Amino acid sequence: MEAVLSIKNLTKHFGRIKAVNNVSLEVKAGQVFGMLGPNGSGKTTTLGMLMGVVNPTAGEFTWFGEQPTHEVRKKIGAVLEHPIFYPYLSGQKNLELNAMIKQCPVTNIPKVLELVELSERKDDKYKTYSLGMKQRLAIASALLNDPTVLILDEPTNGLDPMGIAEIRELIKKIAANGKTIILASHLLDEVQKVCTHFAVLKRGNLVHIGPVDDVGKGEETVEVSADVENLNELLLAFAGTSSIDRENGSYYVVMREGFHSKDLNKFLFDKGVVASHLLTKKKTLEKQFIEILASS
Amino acid sequence: MNMLHLLRIDLKKMTSYRTFWVIGGLYFLTLGLGAASGMEFLKWIARTFEDFGTKLNINRIPLYHFPDVWMNLIWCAGLLKIVLAVLIVISITNEYTYRTLRQNVIDGLSRAEFLFSKILTNIMLSAISVVMIFVIGLVTGMIYSPSLEWDKMITDTEFFPAYFLELFCFLSFALMLGILVQRAGLTIIILLLFPAIESIITAKVDNYLPALIPYFPMRSIWYLIPWPFPRYAFQEIQDYIKWGSVAIVVAWTVIFNYISYLKLKRADI
Repeated sequence: MEAVLSIKNLTKHFGRIKAVNNVSLEVKAGQVFGMLGPNGSGKTTTLGMLMGVVNPTAGEFTWFGEQPTHEVRKKIGAVLEHPIFYPYLSGQKNLELNAMIKQCPVTNIPKVLELVELSERKDDKYKTYSLGMKQRLAIASALLNDPTVLILDEPTNGLDPMGIAEIRELIKKIAANGKTIILASHLLDEVQKVCTHFAVLKRGNLVHIGPVDDVGKGEETVEVSADVENLNELLLAFAGTSSIDRENGSYYVVMREGFHSKDLNKFLFDKGVVASHLLTKKKTLEKQFIEILASS
Repeated sequence: MNMLHLLRIDLKKMTSYRTFWVIGGLYFLTLGLGAASGMEFLKWIARTFEDFGTKLNINRIPLYHFPDVWMNLIWCAGLLKIVLAVLIVISITNEYTYRTLRQNVIDGLSRAEFLFSKILTNIMLSAISVVMIFVIGLVTGMIYSPSLEWDKMITDTEFFPAYFLELFCFLSFALMLGILVQRAGLTIIILLLFPAIESIITAKVDNYLPALIPYFPMRSIWYLIPWPFPRYAFQEIQDYIKWGSVAIVVAWTVIFNYISYLKLKRADI
């Protein structure tokens, strides 16, 4: 696959603080790439350098294999940190201005406004918009030039659950069109739900990079309960059991390699026990993230 | 990007901004009314100070006669450049307070292009002022001049390019201050105090190195076009533009815009 973005040893120091330290990574076409990290881990600074607003201390990067210039940036749609628009201009006029800067036709505007469901409010001044509407206008502006790459930095920051769900649906819709998306966030289930790959930053250092699908691999935990007295002993007798934990009346069985919930179910059934509750739990990104941060 | 497109980008930001129309409107209104009402002003002086009218027949002061009208109007109009400069300061500092400079760059404007769009607006506002004063001068000159002779009408028109330079240099200064300070209030205060501070410094310098004085930025801008009115009190005035002064103001214009460019290029925005 073609590399959309390739970063080599990118570094940014603010005085003595190493905001970004020697980060190298590649984002390939079609990936939805999550950038994770606690607040202040260097996500926004990294994206700022990629978009030409922060001058790197050292290192380099290429977009589409080209040296980064302002012309290349026109092919990328980006929202960093929070939406930025002229408050006294209407949504429509703000987008017209963006179209002039990106040198794309103003006829794209109705399409993107439709996509983010802002058509009805387009002639109202930006300062009258709710936070969710501002975020959506920012996404509309990022999509204006029909970019092949979209950069979103905390797109659901400060939104209510409804707003978060709306933006998440929007991202999925955009990703389904084959666009490459770079998504910085500290909301882990958000990343797990929409991303294909993810990287973890900690105090400016890249500490992990890999596909999201790998997170669920490895040992499996099965949550099980049944109306029998000796369930604990039965589970201990099962060959696939690695360890058992009891919580809220259910047993959490950590399985050995190669054993799955259906093996446990069959084993119990053979013993004449019918499980009233059986649930396979994959490792969450959240758990993995905390492990990565703790071990680095 | 071509220059016209850059200018249109900056105008798009400004033309829907109410403050722009209020300040711009006041500027051009004051410019127009002020420039056209010099005779009324003289009459008012004549009424207020009794001996002024008896000693001097105000109708014999050729305030609006060709070619006097050009220099008189241009010098007075030059006083109002502060208003235009405040407008420029607001325009540039807004880009910092709203953080739209950052977004403009993210969207694909280069930093140089951003600066260029602002400089082009400075050029446009300076040019409009020049045209406006030219039209007012032409109309009032035709009304008040006893006779219209072509060679008198075109005398002293070299003050127009000088007036343009004066405005453009001062607006470049305002733009640079805005880029360096980034906050509207503070920038405007510095802009207003700067000439005063400079004149305190020049007063000191005057004792040691008087030759240096014409090179100070505010001094060179404000004295590019000499004060014309002492000529009506039978004094000798400098009724031409010195090439040396022009060179100094051009140099300052280049320096101001270059500092803006360096600051914009190096800053994390």
